[in-house]
Amino acid sequence: MDISPRSADGSPVHRLNPLTKLVFAVTVTVSAFALTMTWWPLLLFCTAVLPMVIASGTLRKFFPMLLALWVPIALTVYLIQGFFYPETSRVVAEIGPLELKYEGLVFATQTALRIMVLMGGFFLLLLTTRPGALMSAMTQRGMSPKTVYVVSAALQIAPALADRAQGILHAQQARGLPVKGLRGRIRALVPMAGPLILGALTDVGDRAVAMETRGFGTSRRPTFLTEVPDTAAQRVARTVMGLCALTAVVANVLGVLR
Amino acid sequence: MIEFRNFSLTYPTGSRPALREIDLVVPRGQICAVVGAEGAGKTTLAGVISGVVPHMTGGDPTGSARVGGRLLAKTQPSELVGEVGLVMQNPFNQLSGARFSLREELAFGLENLGVNRAEMIRRVEAVMADLGLTALASLSPYEISGGQQQLLAIGSALVMRPAVMVLDEPTSQLDAVGAGLVFDTLETLRARGVTVVLFEHRLERPARYADRVLVLGEGRIVADGPPTDVLTDPRLAEWGVAPLRYTTAARRAAERGLWEADRPLPVTLEAAADGFAAALKSARTAGGL
Repeated sequence: MDISPRSADGSPVHRLNPLTKLVFAVTVTVSAFALTMTWWPLLLFCTAVLPMVIASGTLRKFFPMLLALWVPIALTVYLIQGFFYPETSRVVAEIGPLELKYEGLVFATQTALRIMVLMGGFFLLLLTTRPGALMSAMTQRGMSPKTVYVVSAALQIAPALADRAQGILHAQQARGLPVKGLRGRIRALVPMAGPLILGALTDVGDRAVAMETRGFGTSRRPTFLTEVPDTAAQRVARTVMGLCALTAVVANVLGVLR
Repeated sequence: MIEFRNFSLTYPTGSRPALREIDLVVPRGQICAVVGAEGAGKTTLAGVISGVVPHMTGGDPTGSARVGGRLLAKTQPSELVGEVGLVMQNPFNQLSGARFSLREELAFGLENLGVNRAEMIRRVEAVMADLGLTALASLSPYEISGGQQQLLAIGSALVMRPAVMVLDEPTSQLDAVGAGLVFDTLETLRARGVTVVLFEHRLERPARYADRVLVLGEGRIVADGPPTDVLTDPRLAEWGVAPLRYTTAARRAAERGLWEADRPLPVTLEAAADGFAAALKSARTAGGL
């Protein structure tokens, strides 16, 4: 069960330091949310995210991923904001007792576009970065190995637990537990959750022993198998991007570019 | 070297000792197999040697237990890292859960110990080659089979190059090829002077590879000696250990006068085949067949 959707091609974007791509994703996200012009997130997506995606050669994977996740969210945002936006003056259409409001649609557009930028930035990171390289880069930049462990273990263990849950469910089904229909699925949750949680708790002790015997928690300075390339230009780029994000936040606070 | 002197241990929740009056010396470069029924104390003994018991489990030890001269009662498990390698029964629980490929998983312990990268790569590649994992190097540790995870767990301990390896049923999920790879690797370790303590319930491999077999029964060492002596002991079943089929077959043949009187009972397939061939030849010569 490979949790990484990373594409195999080694483009220049793939070769960038994972932190550079992480800072890029965070910067475009913060910028998209901080500045309040309606079409600003779309501009950001087209001029920053899209060129990076094209340069990485992951367009064919990127758009299906983005559409699969973004479209349902965007539709939900349009429905909720379009019909229930509180401060309204212009009604665009009426559907039964519901009124579709212009301000709600504008707000939904902006929110959906912001989410698109957020997803775009992080999908680019996912598609072009090995998770191990990202974790190594974070540790090498001084983040606590324990914090990095928690993040990466959560990423790894979740699919493994899902797999185990599936196994338990199959075992319960084999013993006659009906899981068809909503009621069946809800009823199956209890007999599945019990063994899953108890099993996971039991595993914790063994895992702690294994980690201890493999030197996790020793006070020695760790080394890294994964060599993460970094350059002065990328360090400068990260600083500039950080400043851009900060500027956007300041602009938001000061009410500039509204 | 492992040295236990009159060592006993009772768990906080236990009403009786899990280990009783253990006197044991395992010299450098020996493969020592420990067998016994469920609840005989095998996992506890493995835990004590690796420093996990009683430090991480609690328990009241008496007597002394030393590994490499260190008194285990005063040594934290983290101080034994790199000196004692532990492989437990369930490989899933031994994965760090924080590495995304087999190669990275194998390097996890070395990274924690601060081993330099060039040395790390050398060791990881060597272990992968020894255990037949090279082709899987880039896969997620959660993407491979249980048997492959078991090999990975063994590799994760081997890569630390410990002076003592403690393996608790290391081949329980492996097929014959995988188990063969593991035991071939243990032979290599023995040649390098590594002390191996192997906890097993299946006797075929210990009979072939171990220098010595211990039988634990209710926390005590009830038998200790070369495989050919211990595994042919008629009391083996009383101690909760099923004798090897070859040995049982030869014993029944001996009871019927069909096994050469001066030939020891076999503990390996080859010895059994030789013994039965010799018995057949004698019977033919005597005109019995």
